[in-house]
Amino acid sequence: MSEGKIKTVDRATEELIEKAVKENIKTVFSRSEEVKPCPIGIEESCCKICAMGPCRLPRTKKDTKKDRIGVCGATIDTVVARNFARKVAAGVAAHCDHAREVAETFLKTAQGEAQGFTIKDEVKLLAVALDFNIEVEGRDINDIAIELGEKVLREFGKQKGELVYVNKAPKKRQEIWRRYAVVPRGIDREVVEVMHRTHMGVDQDYRHILLQTTRCALADGWGGSMISTDLQDIMFGTPVPVLGSINLGVLKEDEVNMVVHGHEPLLPELLVTASREPEIRKLAEKVGAKGINLAGMCCSANEVLMRHGIPCAGNFLQQELAIITGAVELMTVDVQCEMQGLMGVAECFHTKLITTSDRAKIEGAEHIEFHPENGLDTARRILRLAIENYPNRRHAVYIPNHKQDTVVGFSHETINYLLGGLFRASYRPLNDNIINGRIRGVAGVVGCNNVRTPHDSGHLTMIKELIKNDVLVLTTGCAAMACGKAGLLTPEAAKEYAGSGLQEVCEAVGIPPVLHMGACVDNSRILVAATAMVKEGGLGDDLSDLPAAGAAPEWMSEKALAIGHYFVASGIFTVFGTTWPTLGSDRVTEHLFKDYEDMFKGMWAYEPDPVKAAHLMIEHIDKKRKALGIDKARERVLFDMAMRRALG
Amino acid sequence: MANYMYEEKEGFDGKKKKVLSGTFDEGKPDTRYDWKEKLATREERIKYLKTALRYWYSNEWYGSEKNKQGG
Ligand code: SF4
Ligand code: SF4
Repeated sequence: MSEGKIKTVDRATEELIEKAVKENIKTVFSRSEEVKPCPIGIEESCCKICAMGPCRLPRTKKDTKKDRIGVCGATIDTVVARNFARKVAAGVAAHCDHAREVAETFLKTAQGEAQGFTIKDEVKLLAVALDFNIEVEGRDINDIAIELGEKVLREFGKQKGELVYVNKAPKKRQEIWRRYAVVPRGIDREVVEVMHRTHMGVDQDYRHILLQTTRCALADGWGGSMISTDLQDIMFGTPVPVLGSINLGVLKEDEVNMVVHGHEPLLPELLVTASREPEIRKLAEKVGAKGINLAGMCCSANEVLMRHGIPCAGNFLQQELAIITGAVELMTVDVQCEMQGLMGVAECFHTKLITTSDRAKIEGAEHIEFHPENGLDTARRILRLAIENYPNRRHAVYIPNHKQDTVVGFSHETINYLLGGLFRASYRPLNDNIINGRIRGVAGVVGCNNVRTPHDSGHLTMIKELIKNDVLVLTTGCAAMACGKAGLLTPEAAKEYAGSGLQEVCEAVGIPPVLHMGACVDNSRILVAATAMVKEGGLGDDLSDLPAAGAAPEWMSEKALAIGHYFVASGIFTVFGTTWPTLGSDRVTEHLFKDYEDMFKGMWAYEPDPVKAAHLMIEHIDKKRKALGIDKARERVLFDMAMRRALG
Repeated sequence: MANYMYEEKEGFDGKKKKVLSGTFDEGKPDTRYDWKEKLATREERIKYLKTALRYWYSNEWYGSEKNKQGG
């Protein structure tokens, strides 16, 4: 592997990359040097959707004006728009299939058929039932849940009408969606229609393709992802502030380490329950371990961290490195963001790699399928395998001594509560502090790691720049974990990194300047929080009026594109870093970056430099402040006791 | 106010501001702060939704969408 190029800004990661190099173990970091991105594919200037192609249509240096047209006559604009649409649809499909699994388990839970699952959060159940127009007065909790489960499942196969959650959005936003006929009808229908319209010889006007892409993305943000978040909250509890710790240093040399990796929190929840059972703990002692150390990876980590304070071993680019510590007895993977490279790394150690979803196997990995009907038994079986594997460690264990305390669990309900208290819960104090200029605006910084950008550097540089400029940051996914590792998710971080106004609000409310709102599907929480800010009043009457922006500086997955596109379609200016997949067509790029501002009042931007990207976001926030007439920050008043009480 | 600590910082408008410093307790919490546990009965829970999340669950609120609306 080449020397000198920075691969990460995280010490624990650096130490384990060095170990991998020394021991000649291939990881994503070494493979990325062997496999370089294809210059045609990176800007999506190729089409391979029919057997007359693939048609490669790169720009030619000699003749930049030359038309780039495939064998069938498809223009480069059609080709690039189709490729973009399919990526978004794949991302939507991933989130929504996760949602379907959750909804099916939810219904089984309500019917008493899911072993180990219960309805934990009645407040959230009642709220979501009301969203779905379900009568709640005087009814048994399971009755309500059964009706809700059935209605939610219908959202996937609905053929006409509108998704129920669309009604939660500000009224003005709904009107914009209706004007452009992009209100999703049924979740599955929108994904299928993208696939049909991008088949050879169907929809061949890039603007029209992008409209369906928009409808499909909205079926994720205001459909599948929101369903996942809400039903998971009902079953496992809406996140509340909890202290956890994060980074590879959470692994323990003298305990059985078991890592849950992936996205669906169903099995991980039961693993948490089972790992606390006395028989399981006794079994661990029997093999000479001091206990069982459950740790998370990727979004599964976010889910169990924010609901139980279960330690988080790391984000996307750290998955192979966890195994390279030599201390991981077993890793479970379900769906999404699991590198096939895990298997090769696991084979170098004693680690068992177990696939658990009926939709995903990895060659060479053991497959133990999770089904809710016997979920708890499956969790116990997997834990036993982990324990039995503890004596098989065959390498010297090396666990980097880096971990960080982190405060997580800022669901939109919890933010609402923290701002106003039980009897005055409200987004009013946040709006007031934006209006009076203590807080300049709000940014959602989310998304993955990408090995083409030094690990975590994009997130941290951007977020530090934003909070320094008094922008409150909401974060999810691997971005949230990057913040946790760097110490940005503690109230103390406000003093060290935030601008004076943001610091003051954080100090008064007792919150960090960067709020961890959950996993990737929990970007829907950001939509709901932003909607509450609009509805509360004083900051316009649409999401696009808010001094707010979104970003994914290190994105890599198709899900990130789906998320970005539903943010844009919801009226939010959204900047992506690292690379951008429509650069092959100027017209498609122009349409998404400029025309979408006229149409949807939200637009895309691409800026690989995270500081410049942060300033694009700040400029946009200032533009919105000006439009609202709050650009001149009022004379700041120091908080006195009464004001502090009103805040917290 | 005597117990509070202040420090001077520069605001995004470039002016110096006096800023309230940390007011949280020292040490680490060892439990989740589950504020929802305070809502013990169905009535309290529904009442909470109608007040705290009035934007969606109550007819009684005035915000950016001033036409009083139903849930
Ligand atoms: S659909 Fe057209 S552009 Fe695409 S591969 Fe076939 S011939 Fe080429
Ligand atoms: S943020 Fe991206 S890399 Fe991380 S878990 Fe989510 S989709 Fe995967």
